[in-house]
Amino acid sequence: MSTLLEVRELRKYFKTPHGWLHAVDNVSFQLEQGKTLGIVGESGCGKSTLGRTILHLVEPTGGKIIFEGEDISQISKRRFKELRKEMQIIFQDPFSSLNPRMTVEDIIREPLEIYRIHKTEDALRGRVKELMDTVGLAQRLARSYPHELDGGRRQRIGIARALALNPKFIVCDEPVSALDVSIQAQILNLMQDLQEQLKLTYIFITHDLSVVHHIADNICVMYLGQLVERAGARELFVQNLHPYTKALLSAIPVASPHQKSERMILKGEITSPINPKKACRFAQRCPHAKEACFAREPELREVLPNHFVACHYAHELNNLSE
Amino acid sequence: MDKTTDMVPAAPLLRVSDLRIHFEMEREVVEAVNGMSFELLKGETLGFVGETGAGKTTTALGIMRLVQTPPGRVVAGSIALNGEELLEKSEAEMRKIRGNKISMIFQDPMTSLNPVLTVGEQIQEVIRLHNDISDAEAVKRTVDMLEMVGIPGERYNEYPHQFSGGMKQRVVIAIALACSPELLIADEPTTALDVTIQAQVLDMMRELKEKIGTSVLMITHDLGVIAETCDKVAIVYAGQIVESGTVWQIFDNPQHPYTRGLFDSLPSLDKEVRRLKPIEGLVPNPADLPPYCSFYERCGRRAEACRAGEPETVEVEPGHRVMCRCARGE
Repeated sequence: MSTLLEVRELRKYFKTPHGWLHAVDNVSFQLEQGKTLGIVGESGCGKSTLGRTILHLVEPTGGKIIFEGEDISQISKRRFKELRKEMQIIFQDPFSSLNPRMTVEDIIREPLEIYRIHKTEDALRGRVKELMDTVGLAQRLARSYPHELDGGRRQRIGIARALALNPKFIVCDEPVSALDVSIQAQILNLMQDLQEQLKLTYIFITHDLSVVHHIADNICVMYLGQLVERAGARELFVQNLHPYTKALLSAIPVASPHQKSERMILKGEITSPINPKKACRFAQRCPHAKEACFAREPELREVLPNHFVACHYAHELNNLSE
Repeated sequence: MDKTTDMVPAAPLLRVSDLRIHFEMEREVVEAVNGMSFELLKGETLGFVGETGAGKTTTALGIMRLVQTPPGRVVAGSIALNGEELLEKSEAEMRKIRGNKISMIFQDPMTSLNPVLTVGEQIQEVIRLHNDISDAEAVKRTVDMLEMVGIPGERYNEYPHQFSGGMKQRVVIAIALACSPELLIADEPTTALDVTIQAQVLDMMRELKEKIGTSVLMITHDLGVIAETCDKVAIVYAGQIVESGTVWQIFDNPQHPYTRGLFDSLPSLDKEVRRLKPIEGLVPNPADLPPYCSFYERCGRRAEACRAGEPETVEVEPGHRVMCRCARGE
């Protein structure tokens, strides 16, 4: 397996009247071709900004983005337009990410027209039909407008549009969060099938841990712009090492009245990402925080094979030997 | 703890029978609620589960008498609170009941608070409306409410935008509980919140419920929230309760194909499944419901007999009712 995407110390800061908002701070990871990397965290942790920065929908402040061996963090607009074909995005809200004045067909064909992929109108039409079949949209809907369709179908349009240019890599930003469970399962299955057929590589951004557990191969847990834990999906659910990951997992209500789990309820809420201090950003809410946590910023360290944690006391809290 | 076990069963706090709510539009009639019947005992929490458009919120608004008329209209049925028929009350009488005997928490805490009033004023408003008390007493009770939901009393004079999402939802809960209502309707109270904040809010609601003894109608699409908070569950589909029972009955022994489908389509944390099993198809159009079982088109166990008319509701075990032909063992 070859590495498709590598992100090194990626940073994205936004200027605000109160100082610099560190939306993404020193994030590094690698993503292999054909795999899915899940990014989980709560609202405001920077997960969407991370996805958008990788695609240059917002310009990175610093760090490197390496796509198929090429450093794309500082490249010309023209070269990037070429790359856009390879890298696409599916948005969370199928209600606001589709132009209400365009028909289903128009929405799907727009990227094909922009890149002049097909020479003849017939070929273009054929491709649109093929894409609609691929994502399970009936041909009779071609002339419908988004408002006439339900959320699941709208999300299928968003997927068809993202697939139009045969990308290698898709950032899926909460693609099923706005959908009902029965429809959510349909879309997740579709995305898995497409990944297999088209050898797609996904970054799957979500706040829903059971969804990410289902779909991802590796998972990054984000807190206030930083990765606090990174591990294989199965590993993370069996042996999570960061106190935030533990709290996040214990907070999920389990759909079974038998498991009234003892939950670890965090005090307070996510703190401000504006001008953060050089300290552990989770320390204020962490039940295990000690002096060092407020004094030094923990680095993401490999604590177990391929399992990275940013916590000063990762060994101690989990009874692991250094 | 349970006083009603073998004596005469207690009269329910809320009894809804055969409620039907339609929206009469220019060209079509949207049949949002189609013959719902359920009971809620004192101190009990009943969960309403269903997908978007199933009629959960419309039922709740019907109980509050807040369905916008026109186009909405309660076509038939009865809603009795402590034996008193709410559908016969005048608007003035209803105003005395709302916020006092029945309160409602809406899904989105960001839009259900007034941005130009301080949170203290908004909580105080309900208290003063329903109680004849002095200014000082009203302020004192407001501060008590704030502290009860875990917000320091000093924040009385702050505006909603100065609070985070979870804190705003606490304010909304404080308003809803300010007059110790007998019935609290919570419409997706934690859907807009992050999981760690959701855990805080659910935990707090559970504590307050025990303290005040309120009955709760919990509307949600999240089966996890139901399992954690409810005593009884009603599964709602196309404006009808297709299955109801205790939490144990529904989770351990789901009978209706739709209920089973819901459980199967959930990605699970402790099972490794390669593919999920979604329910095929889509929710039927409420303006064009079939005269037979509304789940027919999506059902894996459908048979010709299902098209013969509306399925009957069968009691498969005490308290566990299923609206499906298959439940009769046919």
